[in-house]
This record gives sequence, structure tokens and C-alpha cells, in this order.
Amino acid sequence: METTKTIINYTHRQAGHCESGATSNLFKFYGLDISEPMAFGIGNGLYFSYIPFLKIMFAPMISFRNLPNTVFRRATQYLGIEATVIKKIKDPKEAMAMLDRNLEQGIPTGMQVGVFQLTFFPPEYRQHYNMHNLVAFGKEGNLYHISDTVMEFPQVLTYDDLLRVRYAGGAFAPQGKMYWINNLKPGIDIKPAIIKGIKKTVYEMIGIPFPLIGVKGLKWMARDLKKWPKKHGNEKASFYLGQILRMAEDFGTGGAGFRYIYGAFLKEAGELFGNHTELLEAADIMGKTANKWREFTYIGARNCKNRSKPEEDYGMLSDMLMGIAQNEEIVYRKLEKIKF
Amino acid sequence: MEENQNPVYKNKDYGQSRELLYSYENDGQYKKTVGFHGEPDRIILQQAWDHFGERIEDARKRVKAGKVSPVAYYMEKNLLDPMNLGMIAGISLWRVKWHFKPIVFNRLHEKTLQKYAKAFNITIDQLKNIE
Repeated sequence: METTKTIINYTHRQAGHCESGATSNLFKFYGLDISEPMAFGIGNGLYFSYIPFLKIMFAPMISFRNLPNTVFRRATQYLGIEATVIKKIKDPKEAMAMLDRNLEQGIPTGMQVGVFQLTFFPPEYRQHYNMHNLVAFGKEGNLYHISDTVMEFPQVLTYDDLLRVRYAGGAFAPQGKMYWINNLKPGIDIKPAIIKGIKKTVYEMIGIPFPLIGVKGLKWMARDLKKWPKKHGNEKASFYLGQILRMAEDFGTGGAGFRYIYGAFLKEAGELFGNHTELLEAADIMGKTANKWREFTYIGARNCKNRSKPEEDYGMLSDMLMGIAQNEEIVYRKLEKIKF
Repeated sequence: MEENQNPVYKNKDYGQSRELLYSYENDGQYKKTVGFHGEPDRIILQQAWDHFGERIEDARKRVKAGKVSPVAYYMEKNLLDPMNLGMIAGISLWRVKWHFKPIVFNRLHEKTLQKYAKAFNITIDQLKNIE
């Protein structure tokens, strides 16, 4: 059989967050120079939700990121870029054929996949997590060339493996979701997009009138954390605490539940707006809060190590989390007041 | 064999991929470094895998003792819960739970077994006989 070979000249850059990294790389491919934190900030990557009654991997669902595909969709919408997002493709074969057609036309295509059966992924992260994103940029016979921003170098996947991860089942199933950019005109002004992005993030973190989302959710979780040892016993409490830390530090976050990336975005935006004092101040507080998240991880991990006899008091950890929530609230209130 | 590059992991299969990490320095600059996860991250990941390992081992013993069907073992092995297994295999939650009984499992239809085998990515023979 004759092997066809199409490889697009697509530059793979490693990033902290899978989706904003993919978005930034796609923009750069079409000539719009947007860094990863910028794409993350404009596309509202920052989020927090705590849903104690929904269990994912045997612990309450905690999410530090927005729903899958929000970053790409909002970033293209705010920047006014023509893009196509196909949410659901029923027939797996058709989904793969569409990908092939795109690659033949020279369009690098992003996809949502599940991590559990992703063969090249580090084995310690292979859990059921369906919100991962990667970009296919070439096909060689049966092999697809994949740019996964969590990994240092581009990878390859076979047809069957790619099909399996694209149709991984479970919560937030990808269902073959794919997205790509159709047309990108040069000379886009990114300042209005930044303003829109900040406003939307502020709304999502402090404006939604529901107690489990945003800063309110963080405070709710801090209060719950205190009760866990009594309610569930030490073993389970430490597992739940571990879940918070796993969600905040691992799963390709770039550290501290994306707070570092968002801080970097604020700093970059501040410089772009001609050293805007308030934005730079907000960036500074965000960075310090992110450092506190790191500290929280160090102390919490000690607790997870000695499960039956926790070294640190859960009350202390709860207070620490409450302090973090208050610090974050200061940042969002500051951003809310800024007039551009 | 390659040298183990990440000092916090003893097993050479784990923790070998370098990641991009952000940090905030005292001088107010955000820095990007490519490096390994540190000790705390290993502990919290290890905790999760220990937990899953215990559950798998427990399920294996129960299957050997004839208390539950192999479906329960493979469900634990694939880190699933009944609800997610139902979603992946296309079988309702209550039926999945019903199939945990060995008696019910033994007279299951070929079609249903095929659904489970596909969800677990194994053959029907493997599904019937656990190692």
C-alpha cells in the first residue's frame, strides 16, 4: 500500500495549560503573535468550581479551569477570528475522515480527547480526565503527528489510538469535538479583546449568584475542609485534600491552579496598556497569591504523606485557603473597578 | 538503560516527562522553567495511585472469593465508577450494578458481554477469566 505523507510546518511549543497552549500555537501558526498567558486571559481560562455532590475519581469534583473549549471559542470570538468548532460528530469514521481532509488542506486541527488511553502521556497522569486538548498537524500512513503542549516534543499516534481517545466516554465526553481556524486577517487589535476577557473573568469569579462557583466556591470549600476529618475520617479527608492539590498542581496547570498563568497575563496586559498601574498591581497580588497556593501544596502534601496521623491541623489549612480566597477577591474587585 | 533523571521518583517509568512550570519571583517577574515536578507532587499522585491499587486488589480478592463478578474488578482496574462505566459501555446504571452479581453475570448475553469487553478494551475471554 502506498503511504501518503502530509506534514504541516507547524511549530510545537510547550505550554503550561493544554488548551491555551494549543490556541496560542494555532494563532502563531497563522501569524498572530499571542503568548500562552495572553490566550489564557482573553479566553477566560481562569475559573473555580467546587461540586461536593458530584464525585470524580472518588473525590468531590473540583475544577480550576473553565469548561473544555471555552478558551479557544472565546478567544476567537473576542478577537474576531473566523473559526469553526464542531461540538459533536456521531460517526467516529466520519470524524477521522474530516480530520484527514483538513490535514490535506494544510489546516492544523485541534481536538478534545480523553487522557486515560492516551499512549504517549506520562503514566502517572493517566486518569479519567476528558478535557485534554491536542493539535494534529500531519499524517504519515497510519500515524498522526500530534502536538500536545504538555509534552516537550511532538508525538505520534496511530489511527486506532487517536479514534479511541477522541471517543473516550464518561463525564464531559469529547464526542469527537474538533476545532480549527478558517481565516485570520493581519492587523488585529488585541486591546478590546483583553478588556472583554478581563470583564468576563471577573464576572465568572465574583459575579455569578451561585455559591459553589468562583471565590464563593473557594470559601465554601475552605469551610468544608475543616469538617472533612470529622465527617469522613482521616483517611478519606486526606484523599479529598489530595484531590484539591492534584487538581491545583498537576494535570498540566503550569502550577498553582493556573494562577501563575493568569498573573503573567495581567502583567503582560499592564505593559501593553502603557504600564497601567492598577493592572500591574493586580498582577503582583496574583503572583503572591499563587505563591501562597504553592505553600498550601507543600503543607498539604505533608498531611497526605502521614494519612492516619496528620501533622498539620485541618483548621490551619482551612484558614490558609480562606486567606487565599480573600486575596483573590481583592484582585477581582480591583479589576472590576478599572476603567480603560 | 537510561539514567533516571528525576530524582524524586524511584521507578524509572514514572515522572520522566519535563513540564513547563511558571513561577513568580520576588522581583515581580514571572518566570518560565522547564523541569520536573517536585516531591509534594509525587506524594499526592502516589496517594491517588495507592488508593486505586488498594481498590483493585480488594476487588480482585472479592472476585476470586466469588462475591462479585469480574465486571467489578475490571471497573476498578479502569478507574471507573458504576455511573461512568454505564456511560462508556452504554448500559444503564442499574443494570451495571445488577451485573455485579456473579449469578447474573454468568448467564449474560453475548451482546452485553461484548459491550463490556469493548468498554474495557479487552476480549470476552479475558473478561470472563481474570488473571
